[in-house]
Amino acid sequence: MVDKEADKKTNVYAAVGVGFVCLVVGLPLWWKTTEVYRVSLPYSDIDTLAGTKIQYTVDIIVKSFLKTSSEKDLAVLSRNLLDQLGGKQDALVKSYYRTIVKAASTEELQFLEKSASLKELDSLLSNNEGQSKPNKYSVFILPRNSRISISKPTFGCRRNVFIPEPEKDFPGVAVTIAHLVKDSLVRESTVLKRYKTARGTRNLKPDKETMRSVRFSSGYDVTLTLVSPRPDILDVQWDAKSGISAYLTPFVLRMSNYTSIVVKSQVLFFTKLHTKPKKENNEFYFTPDDLPHMINPLEAKLGSPASTNPELNFLVYVPSRSEYPLYIHDAQGTKLESNAFFSPQWGGVYIYNVAPPSPDTEGPVQHTLDMSRIMEVFVTELRLLLNFNSPASEEHDVLPTGVESIRDWELDVWLRSRCVENLATSSASLKSLAQLLGKISNIVIKDDIGNEVKTAVAAMQLALDLLRDGDLKAAYLESRRAVTASEKAFFDPSLLELLYFPEDQKFAIYIPLFLPISFPVISSLWQAYKWWRGADKPKTE
Amino acid sequence: MSAPMGIGLKFNKINFLSLCIGLFSLTIGVLNGIEVDDFFTSDHTNNWAVLVDTSRFWFNYRHVANVLSIYRSVKRLGIPDSHIILMVADDMACNPRNPRPATVFNNVNEQINVYGDDVEVDYRGYEVTVENFIRVLTGRLPPSTPRSKRLLTDEHSNILVYMTGHGGDGFLKFQDAEEISSVELADAFEQMWQKKRYHEAFFMIDTCQAESMFLKFYSPNILAVASSKVGEDSLSHHVDPAIGVYVIDRYTYYALEFLENVQPNSKKTMGQFFRVCPKSQCVSTVAFRTDLYPKDPNKVLITDFFGSVRNVELLTETISFKNLSMQDTCSKESCVETSSPKSSQQLKYADQFPMPT
Repeated sequence: MVDKEADKKTNVYAAVGVGFVCLVVGLPLWWKTTEVYRVSLPYSDIDTLAGTKIQYTVDIIVKSFLKTSSEKDLAVLSRNLLDQLGGKQDALVKSYYRTIVKAASTEELQFLEKSASLKELDSLLSNNEGQSKPNKYSVFILPRNSRISISKPTFGCRRNVFIPEPEKDFPGVAVTIAHLVKDSLVRESTVLKRYKTARGTRNLKPDKETMRSVRFSSGYDVTLTLVSPRPDILDVQWDAKSGISAYLTPFVLRMSNYTSIVVKSQVLFFTKLHTKPKKENNEFYFTPDDLPHMINPLEAKLGSPASTNPELNFLVYVPSRSEYPLYIHDAQGTKLESNAFFSPQWGGVYIYNVAPPSPDTEGPVQHTLDMSRIMEVFVTELRLLLNFNSPASEEHDVLPTGVESIRDWELDVWLRSRCVENLATSSASLKSLAQLLGKISNIVIKDDIGNEVKTAVAAMQLALDLLRDGDLKAAYLESRRAVTASEKAFFDPSLLELLYFPEDQKFAIYIPLFLPISFPVISSLWQAYKWWRGADKPKTE
Repeated sequence: MSAPMGIGLKFNKINFLSLCIGLFSLTIGVLNGIEVDDFFTSDHTNNWAVLVDTSRFWFNYRHVANVLSIYRSVKRLGIPDSHIILMVADDMACNPRNPRPATVFNNVNEQINVYGDDVEVDYRGYEVTVENFIRVLTGRLPPSTPRSKRLLTDEHSNILVYMTGHGGDGFLKFQDAEEISSVELADAFEQMWQKKRYHEAFFMIDTCQAESMFLKFYSPNILAVASSKVGEDSLSHHVDPAIGVYVIDRYTYYALEFLENVQPNSKKTMGQFFRVCPKSQCVSTVAFRTDLYPKDPNKVLITDFFGSVRNVELLTETISFKNLSMQDTCSKESCVETSSPKSSQQLKYADQFPMPT
């Protein structure tokens, strides 16, 4: 009897011991070892950033060369300008203008006297202020009777805008200035479009401008290709190397602080067009409807670069004897002067007619192409594809650029819209990533993902502040850092290392393991509890 | 050589058609007060295709033939190899049981070798896994992945996803080891949508109970078609006695028949494509899903997904370099050769391995 009681006691102690080990050691150990490693991410910052309005600041200085304008006039103009520029604002992207209106200094008046052309005046005025600063624009009101007279507003190559003296109502010129600044100099609509595209509000059909330009990337690959269908008849050559260094390198260098452009060239021999041109009066031509079908067969021959940057292709096609001369007709059926076309986000094709030798000429005839004409076409197309488009219109003129091909204020527009685009992209990526990680709780979040996310968040906050302060260049560089980090975090391969089951499927894994073990443990604990109750009872009696 | 002639003859008709469309859109433009010139004819800039065969082994010859036939069609219609991700789980052309090595045929007549001389398989054999497929779609690939194995799409790209293999209710089997569930697939599309990796997607699947694979989709702008409804089997079309196996599935067979009559400038619509393979031909019921897709499929060109008709713009004015000669811009300081000075050491071929004599 005593032995049995002692046995029972031992049993109970054993059961309690096992139960204790299971609960106190086993359970936490299991919990700890199966825990998924997840770095804590700044979820609240990501949410705040997604809701933050983007505001950019632009400095405008209006300087009047007019001797007639009084202090009072300038004050009224200043007030009008503020009213005009304030205006209606989109809730998500806001522009803020800091304006100064004053009369031109004597030095500046001397420049006006001295310079022979508007171009000269433009560069004199810009050099005067030292390096003209990004995001700081000067609007000059030129008198009607001066040596340089302009009939309509003109944009300079640096950061100057010239407007002619208004016929009457001097302060009323504020409307013109505000219009020019908003639509051309700052391009508010482009900034907003970039933002909306990056944010993914895509209920509207995208317009040409949005579709044309390649999206932001830290680098672009530009390939120049000469297509020579019959080198056995007409052996065309080009001096691509010196052409590129003469006309394209200044452009590339100009952009080198902001994005890297890698330029390559190649020659394709015996490559024909697969579309047949139409013939009329011994001339061959393509209509705009034929052109889309021309690109694909050519693209198949272009080869594929090793980098994953967006590629832009520029092709020169020299028609063979059987299709010379070859032209592109526009929708109205007239010959296109440039004889070139381009496709959004892809590149362009330029048809370069070279008179082929007569059929009885012996052997291939050599011909060297004019690189300057080719580069005129390509640089124009490259400008369009990178969204540096600022055509002259009926309302304003634009001074022609040199070989750098980018005007200072155009570069500002690019930086501004790309900065806003990057901020929107980065914030959308992080938000989507946070959502994904929140939804699937057993995705491993490694340290480097955590670091990338934190870098991106910090860079975004900094970029927003810099943009608000008007430091465009630094804001762009920070936004680029943010977008690179957030893309890297979003596309990190480690986020997909396991296949993720829904939570309920985990039971299917654990039940076969835990049920056979837990059953005897729990039942013996229950026995122990009953024994303890039984042993307790007599005592109280 | 006769094909381009055919295209040439069709031009007049097409011009007339586009004129009508042009007039129509002009009226719309005027009504909305928008300048027509601000928009392109189509609202995507490039086309991509992800074509997947998920099953291996000789008796699944038809699945490889299916995917290679679709590959051939989209390539003929203009999607370049660089924009096609082709995943083939087994190499039928080199299978020891193939009586005609290095060929794959999709028809008993053996007229077209779909494994022709220009096939670029991006993922082959055991590389075709659920993980790799999801990685390709979502873009979460290791940094070392070459460009040709990546889906480099953006918010202006249309994607065609074609899958074939053995499936069941809510899954598609990959190889013999694993399967992708419809939930995983739907989540992958949602990830793509959130990261703006497609503009519009067309999902096409030829397998048993194929409809179940797209029922879970919840992301916008997806158009989907499947060879069979839930509970139905998808059947093969015919056997080639010379090869000894079924060579193509019914739905793909009739879809190809339709696609063969499509030219890159064709005006056939997705609506017409949905009517391909009625029950009398397919035995299974072709199912499609349009509720996620905002447009009317009857007005969407088939070449929006199966071809690649790019938007073009004419270049109206160019900047002028006329007064700049190469010497002007290329002064001695700015245009010095950037390449490193040539090594004076003469280059020579390395010695061959010593051969035993």
